[in-house]
Amino acid sequence: MSTVGDTLNLIHPLVAKYLRRERMPHMACPGCGIGQVVHATLLAVDELGLTPKDTVWVQGVGCSSRITYSTWVGDNIDAHHGRMFAVATGLKMSRPDMNFICFTGDGDCGAIGGNHFIHACRRNLDVTAILFNNGIYGMTGGQVAPTSPLGAVTTTTPYGNIEDPFDMCKMAVAAGASYVARWRSTDFRQIANSVKKGIQTKGLAFIEVLLQCPTNFGRYVLKTSNPQEVVKWIKQQTVSLKDAEKLSPEEKQGKILYGEFLHQTDRPGIVERYQQFLKQHRKE
Amino acid sequence: MSSGVKPGRYFVQGDEAIAEGAIAAGCRFFAGYPITPSSETSETMARRLPEVGGVCLQMEDELASIHCIGAASVAGMKALTVSSGPGISLKLEGLGWGIKNEIPYVVVDVQRAGPSNGVATRVAQGDLYTVRYGSAGGNAALIALSPKSTQEAFDLTIECFNLAEIFRCPVFLLTDETVGHTRELLVIPEESELKLVKRLKPTVPPEKFSMYPLETPEVINYPFPNIGEGYGICVSPYTHTSKGYASTAQDVQEKMAKRLVYKITAHVDMLTRVETQMMADAEYAVVAYGGDARPALAAVEMARAEGLKVGFFRPIIVWPFPDGEVLKMAEKVKKILVCELNIDGQLSREVERASHGKAEVYHFGSGGVEPHLPSQIFNELRRLFK
Repeated sequence: MSTVGDTLNLIHPLVAKYLRRERMPHMACPGCGIGQVVHATLLAVDELGLTPKDTVWVQGVGCSSRITYSTWVGDNIDAHHGRMFAVATGLKMSRPDMNFICFTGDGDCGAIGGNHFIHACRRNLDVTAILFNNGIYGMTGGQVAPTSPLGAVTTTTPYGNIEDPFDMCKMAVAAGASYVARWRSTDFRQIANSVKKGIQTKGLAFIEVLLQCPTNFGRYVLKTSNPQEVVKWIKQQTVSLKDAEKLSPEEKQGKILYGEFLHQTDRPGIVERYQQFLKQHRKE
Repeated sequence: MSSGVKPGRYFVQGDEAIAEGAIAAGCRFFAGYPITPSSETSETMARRLPEVGGVCLQMEDELASIHCIGAASVAGMKALTVSSGPGISLKLEGLGWGIKNEIPYVVVDVQRAGPSNGVATRVAQGDLYTVRYGSAGGNAALIALSPKSTQEAFDLTIECFNLAEIFRCPVFLLTDETVGHTRELLVIPEESELKLVKRLKPTVPPEKFSMYPLETPEVINYPFPNIGEGYGICVSPYTHTSKGYASTAQDVQEKMAKRLVYKITAHVDMLTRVETQMMADAEYAVVAYGGDARPALAAVEMARAEGLKVGFFRPIIVWPFPDGEVLKMAEKVKKILVCELNIDGQLSREVERASHGKAEVYHFGSGGVEPHLPSQIFNELRRLFK
């Protein structure tokens, strides 16, 4: 069977360098925002000079994970649904010398894995977690997510969603992560910079990306299959932290803020804490 | 890395012996969640692992702890978690990930009275099938060892770690509150006397290595490469090809399922271990495992003193179930009394299945809380076998 690269005789240099050719084409639907985030992540990886010898990709379950799993040329450790942070904890505490770039989704991290997310932030686990927030359960066909907007019609909220969406960046800040940022899939350079900062920051880096899911979010919530329409809608819902300073509370009402919420450079992660602890208590 | 073995004679609980056994076996990663009656193992690990440079974490829940140790093992560590009834129910979710990805680690189940929370501090034996069949989706075989004493808790914990590496799978130590909380003599031998199995690393380059040997389903002692060594290992919840890529193909599912079952069922001879006593001339047999084997053996001795020709049979490796040994016994005796601390009859069902009708099998159960007394079993013996 031919791969995309063979047939088109063209392959993006970052894909050629860091992703497995035999795993292409990937599983993402046309117009999905996940590719943009992976692209930005690979740029960060490249700019930091990371390699498969020092960097592992970790996933959970859902679009975020199924699409990225086994594409990285190095090791890919994909957890059960929601257990990505628990798995990342075992990996990082066993191999503190390696970098773990973790991909999770809004259902994986905000619903079924919510407790692990909170406690990974509390422990300040030294990993870089990228949350792909498409506002819906995409892989299972468009069910309401904890991040779906109020009123959203989905396959499991045919009369509209009566619950408020979960602000997971606020949760990450409250629970104790070192670095917290939110971007849109179109903020390519900002995502790449955040991933770089995340990898270089001690403790947990939580980077949420609001991304377009034309297949399910578009279809059920916005009644469009056009990815550009979904991107436009995300842009309408969001306002940067900088711009928000100029807005009145009424103008900010219902808007989703994006930007860098927190960057604590001096807060130790669990790895540093554990290493200091071992120095005191190791006997043999 | 330091061996961590502390040779000597100790007066400790079974739960503590498990922790010492794990450390002696080379376990350097523990993640747990407090639950009676297994917490003493967690507490011992919390005290001992830092001394030997290991990692000990108390996780946010049972799920996190089993996934955490599975991942630690993927990252090269020998790893342990412990729990009991309600916690084991939760851990079964993570167990599937370990089984499917052929990850070596050890889970201890200190059985207590159930179902649900039941009686947290008191004994029962309700999890024989839970550990064997609890992981959803089937297509798996499982290894479980069951100690009857503090000494065996130590010895069998080491064996669990060895078998986990040999068979590349999670292994259960299926104990109970009686053994977990019985304080008795533990002799820890010199390090040189311990037989430990080290994790095998691939001897072939990455391009020639299959992470999952689907084409040779019965192979054991199969290497597990470490992360960051160029093998590009792929671990996932999905049905996988030999490289670890997710597949929906029927033939891949078939091969993976056969691999997970055959790697254990093809080696039942290695995995058969029973204790028998007074069976040479026995006309009747008493079968029990774990903590309930203690009053059962005492009852057999009482019966012998009265001239009843009764023998004692105890599976030490409870899964795979010792079908062959049970059949041999059934062909020899007329009646078998199976003692266990549950009312539904789990061990007795297995004994009946493996006996193929060669002997009459009787269930002598109790819902738990109190262990059986030797006199209760003896009275039942007299009633049945006179």
